[in-house]
Amino acid sequence: MTYHPRKGLAALMLAGSALIAPPALAQDSDTLVIARSMDVNSLDPSRAFCDTCQFYLTAVYETLVTLAPDNQSLVPNLAESWEVNEDFTEFTFKLKDATFADGSPVEASDVIWTFNRLKNVKGSPSFLMDGLTSAEAVDAKTVKFTVDAPNSEFLNKVSAPYTGIINAEVAEANGAVSDDTAAEADKAESWFLANSAGSGPFQLASYSPEAELRLSRNESYHGEAPAFAEVVVTQIQDAVSQAQALETGQVDIAMQIDPDTAQSIRSPEVTTEVIPSYNFVYIGFIPGAKGMDGKLTAEVRDALASAIDYDGMLDFTVGGNGEKQAAPIPNGFPGTAGLTPRSQDVEKAKQVLADAGLSDLKLVAGYPNDNIYGVDFNIMMQKVQQDFAAIGVELELKPLTWAVWRDELGTGEWPVTAIYYAPDYYGSGQYVAYFGMIEGFPWVGRAGVGNDELVVNPAESDLYAQALASAGDEADAAYQKLGEEMMKDAIIIPLVSPNLVLAYRNDIEGVRYSACCNLPLAEISRN
Amino acid sequence: MAMTSPDTAGLPPRRRFAGSRDLWRRLPVTAKIGALMLLFWVLTVLTVSLWPLADPLAMVGRRLQPPSGEHWLGTDALGRDVFARTMYGAIWSIPIAFVVVACAVVIGSTLGALAGFFGGWNDSIIMRLVDVTVSFPPILLAMAVAAVLGPGLANASIAMVIVWWPIYARLMRAQVLEKRENEHVEAAVAGGAGRLRVLGVHILPLCWAPTLINATMDFGQVVLLAASLSFIGLGATPPSPEWGSMISEGATKFYSWWIAFGPGMAILSVVLATSFLGDGLRDLFDRRSA
Repeated sequence: MTYHPRKGLAALMLAGSALIAPPALAQDSDTLVIARSMDVNSLDPSRAFCDTCQFYLTAVYETLVTLAPDNQSLVPNLAESWEVNEDFTEFTFKLKDATFADGSPVEASDVIWTFNRLKNVKGSPSFLMDGLTSAEAVDAKTVKFTVDAPNSEFLNKVSAPYTGIINAEVAEANGAVSDDTAAEADKAESWFLANSAGSGPFQLASYSPEAELRLSRNESYHGEAPAFAEVVVTQIQDAVSQAQALETGQVDIAMQIDPDTAQSIRSPEVTTEVIPSYNFVYIGFIPGAKGMDGKLTAEVRDALASAIDYDGMLDFTVGGNGEKQAAPIPNGFPGTAGLTPRSQDVEKAKQVLADAGLSDLKLVAGYPNDNIYGVDFNIMMQKVQQDFAAIGVELELKPLTWAVWRDELGTGEWPVTAIYYAPDYYGSGQYVAYFGMIEGFPWVGRAGVGNDELVVNPAESDLYAQALASAGDEADAAYQKLGEEMMKDAIIIPLVSPNLVLAYRNDIEGVRYSACCNLPLAEISRN
Repeated sequence: MAMTSPDTAGLPPRRRFAGSRDLWRRLPVTAKIGALMLLFWVLTVLTVSLWPLADPLAMVGRRLQPPSGEHWLGTDALGRDVFARTMYGAIWSIPIAFVVVACAVVIGSTLGALAGFFGGWNDSIIMRLVDVTVSFPPILLAMAVAAVLGPGLANASIAMVIVWWPIYARLMRAQVLEKRENEHVEAAVAGGAGRLRVLGVHILPLCWAPTLINATMDFGQVVLLAASLSFIGLGATPPSPEWGSMISEGATKFYSWWIAFGPGMAILSVVLATSFLGDGLRDLFDRRSA
């Protein structure tokens, strides 16, 4: 074949124009286009567990209660009212008249089926149903749940999007199972990737992994119809590309723009709001790691935490657009008002290490090589490395791929790690359940690596039970004590709570950040 | 004419090794520019610690400052001097490229020469191994090896040697196969020379030109691949001022263009320099393929 330069050039120009021309211009249409790097692990409410899942599930399924825009109080959703007994063990919900997208009514049996499936399928969000002992229908519109121990956070838990009510009949017809055998017998996960069975304002139209998530309006929605007929979440990997797509009008909303990039947006047609978030990034110490041999005691961990320059960290990771955070419970959650963030004390840190005979301590940090909530983990860990070097501790950095990091976490490959956390509902209990140094809890296993006695804090389990058996100020006080204990543990050291950037075209209204549900799509409209 | 190898057929034989000054004079201008650029980087590697530069690992100013008189290429996200980091980056990239190319040449040429000279099952085994290795895209194979071994420049170098040796095996085998049939080799065999002597003294000295040319050109490509591996997080670990990882940092702070500019220009200059020089050397030594 001979080469025809002109043909080649024409082909190139054609290819080039395909890149320049936006596939669909977002403005002035009935379609809302959102730019996001999607982290979908599943679209099955009982198995999904990701930030994208939070707003997808909220749009397609409805929970019994939901979080008000103040991000604290619970308001009715599918349940029009609810009752809680005195010791927080029985919860009764009265359902309102609602219908699923196929027109069938939402009934007590669907709620019970959904909660049992969530519990029995043993997926990532199944912990929300921990302790559920019975679910019974009092009548067709009333459902009662019983838990094995007082749990004042149960109500908050059922505002998590993963507890959205599924149309039991439709799901069962497509392989879903809710009884004890669900973990193996349920084969509906792939069906949920192409279909939805909820009562929410939207329905799943199509999903292509790493490319696009398309929702269409539920035309028979029982509530107020959403403003957009279609919502398209389009995969755009990084903040800079998202900002460019937003400026050119290719998308209406960009979900993952960091504050540095937000500052560089010059288009007058784009609105950016920087607001505090409930997300945080932290380093975790793993005293049970190989080669540590009891070196990482609580005093040493505390000394290492004192070496960190938290103000500098805030500046270097997010350009000052964030908050310091004391305990591994986000600022603004119950019990955090009275906690004081750590501060740097290099002299104290040096002294403690010298007394412990660890003046030439060498540590390794294994962490995912990623950029989350605008925080570049490589930058963050280089800052930690510099701060540790100032007290004579050598920190070797091992940035890892996600797969390798997940494999090595819990095996004690490295004594230091770094990662992030975002809430699933409003409540401090989820943080104790994850970070608390209580026998059998996730981070005890990770930090102790088989030697739980290295890290378990006996005070915490009583305080946790106390917090769950009370509400209001009493619970807040217990959570504050738990926060103080977790700070004493010095296993989880929160570094930064990054601010969130809401970035959208000027003609878009109703964009807000929700602690449970990320971005409530049904509230968004175009002027 | 019988003893003249095809290599020298078109050149006046006496002038070929008439001294390095003569060699320099006959190099094309682009190759001279390439050689000077490469010399600059080699000198940088050797002397950069003596230069009056900022500490490449220390915070020396506010973060994300654009280029100024004080910081010629601005500062990065941790407030480190990008110009100093770019210059120090040569300490990582240049020696690594040198070691990788040297290892690939030694391993590849040895195996290729053995395969070509001895033939038979030696040839089959070695060349099938070559075929298997080159059937993978280089970056993919290097990524796989580096991912298995874990991040770090040493592991990345091993990965790159694994990717690169087959090229030299093929080159050397082709040369040896050709030169093996020369009459002076037959004469040496007839004169009772041992097989290794024939290979080492009568064949190999005639085969080095294509390898040298190829190695020069590959030098830049190795720098590029090392940077690519670091860019995706499989090469240098932080805080090393390796060019690829610096560009990766710059990519997330896209509007602070200067962070990626320095290392980008450095890589560009090395790759261009080796391409120019390689082209020039080929014009000089290997007229046939030019």
